[in-house]
Amino acid sequence: MPKPDAFLPLKTNWFHILLSLAGEDQHGYGIMQEVLDRTGGKVRLWPATLYGSLKRLIEAGLIEESGERPARKFDDPRRRYYRLTRLGRRVLDAESVRLQELVRILQVKRGLEVLE
Amino acid sequence: MKSLAMRIYRRLAWAFPHEFQMVYGADVIQLGEDAMDDIWEQHGFFGLARLLADIAMRLPIEYLSEMRRDLAYALRTLAKSRGFAAVGVLSLGMGIGIATFSASEFFNLILPDAPGVKDPGRLAIEMGTSYPYFEHYRDQRDLFAGAAAYQGPVPFNVSLNSPLGGAVNSKAERVFGHLVSPEYFSVLGVRAARGRTFDAQVDRPGSAPVVFISDRFWRNRMDSDPDAVGRAIQVNGQEATIVGIGPRDFLGVTPIRPAEIFVPTTSPAAMVPELAGDVLHKRDAKFFEALFRLAPGVTLKSAEAGLDTITRHLDEESLDPARNVQGRRVTLVPGGKLVPVPREVIPLIFGLALLLDGLIVGIACMNLANMQLARATTRRREVAIRLSVGASRFRLIRQLLTESVLLACAGGVAGILCAYLAAAVFKRIKLPVAFPITIDLTPDWRAVLFTCAVSLAAGIGFGLAPALASTRADLAFMLKEGALAQVRGYRRFGMRNLLMVSQVAGSLMLLLITGFLIIGFDKGNRVDIAFDPMKMYLLSLDPVRDGYSAEKAANLFDKLPERLQRAPGAQQIVLAEAPPFSPLMATSTLAARSDAGAPDQVVQKVAKQTIGAGYFAALSVNMLEGREFSPSDQRIDSSKNQLLPVVLNETAAREFFGNRDPLGRRIAEGSRAYDVAGVVKDLSAPLSGSGDTAELTSQIPTVYFPLTRSDFAHSPVGGMTVMVRATRGADTLEGVRREIASLDPNLVMFNVRTLAEQVDEATAVMHLDTFFYGAIGSFGLILAAIGLAGVTAYSVARRRKEIGIRMALGARKGQVLRLVMREGGTLVMAGTLLGFLGAIAVSRALGAASSIFGPSFAAGSRDPRLLLGAPLLLGALAMLACYVPARRSVKIDPLIALREE
Repeated sequence: MPKPDAFLPLKTNWFHILLSLAGEDQHGYGIMQEVLDRTGGKVRLWPATLYGSLKRLIEAGLIEESGERPARKFDDPRRRYYRLTRLGRRVLDAESVRLQELVRILQVKRGLEVLE
Repeated sequence: MKSLAMRIYRRLAWAFPHEFQMVYGADVIQLGEDAMDDIWEQHGFFGLARLLADIAMRLPIEYLSEMRRDLAYALRTLAKSRGFAAVGVLSLGMGIGIATFSASEFFNLILPDAPGVKDPGRLAIEMGTSYPYFEHYRDQRDLFAGAAAYQGPVPFNVSLNSPLGGAVNSKAERVFGHLVSPEYFSVLGVRAARGRTFDAQVDRPGSAPVVFISDRFWRNRMDSDPDAVGRAIQVNGQEATIVGIGPRDFLGVTPIRPAEIFVPTTSPAAMVPELAGDVLHKRDAKFFEALFRLAPGVTLKSAEAGLDTITRHLDEESLDPARNVQGRRVTLVPGGKLVPVPREVIPLIFGLALLLDGLIVGIACMNLANMQLARATTRRREVAIRLSVGASRFRLIRQLLTESVLLACAGGVAGILCAYLAAAVFKRIKLPVAFPITIDLTPDWRAVLFTCAVSLAAGIGFGLAPALASTRADLAFMLKEGALAQVRGYRRFGMRNLLMVSQVAGSLMLLLITGFLIIGFDKGNRVDIAFDPMKMYLLSLDPVRDGYSAEKAANLFDKLPERLQRAPGAQQIVLAEAPPFSPLMATSTLAARSDAGAPDQVVQKVAKQTIGAGYFAALSVNMLEGREFSPSDQRIDSSKNQLLPVVLNETAAREFFGNRDPLGRRIAEGSRAYDVAGVVKDLSAPLSGSGDTAELTSQIPTVYFPLTRSDFAHSPVGGMTVMVRATRGADTLEGVRREIASLDPNLVMFNVRTLAEQVDEATAVMHLDTFFYGAIGSFGLILAAIGLAGVTAYSVARRRKEIGIRMALGARKGQVLRLVMREGGTLVMAGTLLGFLGAIAVSRALGAASSIFGPSFAAGSRDPRLLLGAPLLLGALAMLACYVPARRSVKIDPLIALREE
């Protein structure tokens, strides 16, 4: 298995998709909607770009098609569901650690500025 | 609005690569439909535009990524079959390299304009005219906007005087330049970078000697001296003032023979020996080139017609011996090019090159197509599986094509390397001429572009057919039977067989055509010397350009042979205007005087050579008839109406006099008559020609004139050649050096070499050609053998099971071998026959169309060694190529073969 660090820093689109799949399995439309909601309508993953990214994420082994379907009344049989792989989860973790580290550095610098 | 956007969106979604579309196509459309309303509400028109832009931008990205994967896959497959890849790259590389090299020849020599010249397309040159004729031409205002006469390359012994007057740089250097009429620069449209150019108003006969120097001379020999203009330098021992420096890249009207300095025709004859003997007023002194700038609206053809009329008129007046000759008297070639080449010749030269290149690249392609086809058949199963899991046929073809194009590109890179190598080799060869020539055949960007186009075409050419063939398949059948499927027996006109036949035919054609050329060259240019050429020394002297007066130079040469005889081991000392076996320019027209009233027998394109007493004896050449020149001939004063004797070679004797005995008869050039004193066999003169093109034949009518005192005053471009035949080695040369130094220590000896070196130099180009064509021919042969071996090996592998059954049923090994060989043999026979006929047809056509290749083809295509040898060689090699893999068939163990699958 490739090392998660090899994927860092994650491309914005990839990060948003992985983040959307962190909670539960999603289909394409769901991912798009969640990203829109999460960013307050600022980030829209346009359809072709979204599927291009999904294809590459699958090839890279970060996500996979999910065999499980939701309960029948929520299920749309035309749609395909995606979920994180173990690698994908570790990449997402590594990315959030990286971001936290960045935020920490920023805060330390801010703190120093305030102290001065 | 929304529905229109959706329609476009769907169209674009369908245009995605097949695989992407199979998996995500429906989802992309679905998502677009779902999001459409939302997008319209939130972003309006721009949102729709953004949606379409997104999908439109994504299209090329997906295609590129697919291509990248194809490429990676192709690289992996090629890495797996290294032998195939190596043969492919090597054969294509060599083919493309040769093609690139000859393309460079076109791009670097024929196409470019002379640098520094204004509007070069309007310039024209007439070779070999006299100054008085030129003066008539110059006045044709309706034809020409300007005209100039020049002579070049002309050697000048130049030494720079130091500004203080002392002789700091006293050693004279031999520099080549042009002797030009004052209009030269204005006709070319060249302005001086410093100082002035020549001007017909200012530079008149009798004014103080002046010289114009090139930028190259100024930089390399004068260290870019800022005060160069106005400085005096020594030219051939006479003082001349520099009046101007040329623009940066200007090297004269024919830059392939660069001119470093320019001296006006108004200079005194003491400074320029080329002007001795009042050549500016002699109508038969056709030593000049005329350079014209065509008047607006005048074409090369109409100018030529106009000049022709004028020239005929002038010929009539001056009783020129060629005046009654049919056809054009004047040929204009386009000026303003690196090399003046008549337009009609270009397609011929490049026709042959293109044909050979095409054959080579074609054979290489056919070979690869064949191998690819064989590979594709063993890959049938892979193809079938991929087709059945949903790959489109287009996709698979693209995949296979990627492989071939990749191979072709690698071949192209190898080809460019190959062309650079060839150019480097060519650069090291010294051409057998007395003056410097600049030929750079290093491929430039145009040649590289050409190579890329050829490689791409080759890649698609040899990849497409096999790809189409291998993807057209019955899936169920192939999946079941796999690679060992018996494919409907032996197909007489299958693609593989056609390819094989045409490959054998092409190879044989190549082998024969190149063979014809090689044997023809060889016959036309072999230098036969009856003694050890290491024991003849050649050296050059040019006393006139060392500052000698005509009188003094003549006296020097008079006593020189006698003096040099004192050197130890010196046997014979002979003078000549040109070294033996050097290229001849067959440009003169002479006439044989007939007996009574009958018209003179005029012969055009005659070569003239001026030689001293004992020339033929020194070369161990026996006279066929009559005598050769003696020292007394050298002392004849031709101005006192005494007839000079001449010696003819066999070809000249035949052309002038037919079967009659030439001895004692008269021939004339212009108004001067000569007495035929002897006949000698044709001596070879490699690379000789008639001015427009090199003719690859030795059968040039040659008239030998004796050296006289006036020749000594008027020394030729290469100086006077002194031939020293010795019994011993180097100490003779030392003795000669001592004797010359004792005559005059300031006399410069140059171009010292043995006859063997001289001959090597003269034939170096021929050897290169022979090597080049030989390489092409054997290349085709090897390719054909590889192709045949591949096909036979494949056919054996395909029939393993069948052969196993036959052997199990009791077939003997010989029978099986024969069975396998018969298939290959039939193909070879058919190919040999076709190739033979093709080669004969092509060489006939080329020979008839061109005076350049005609003699070579005529000499070569009758050679039985080649006519029988080449097909036999190819056939034998082909059968060997069949036999080696066929032998494997008899080693098949029937038990194993039957048990497989």
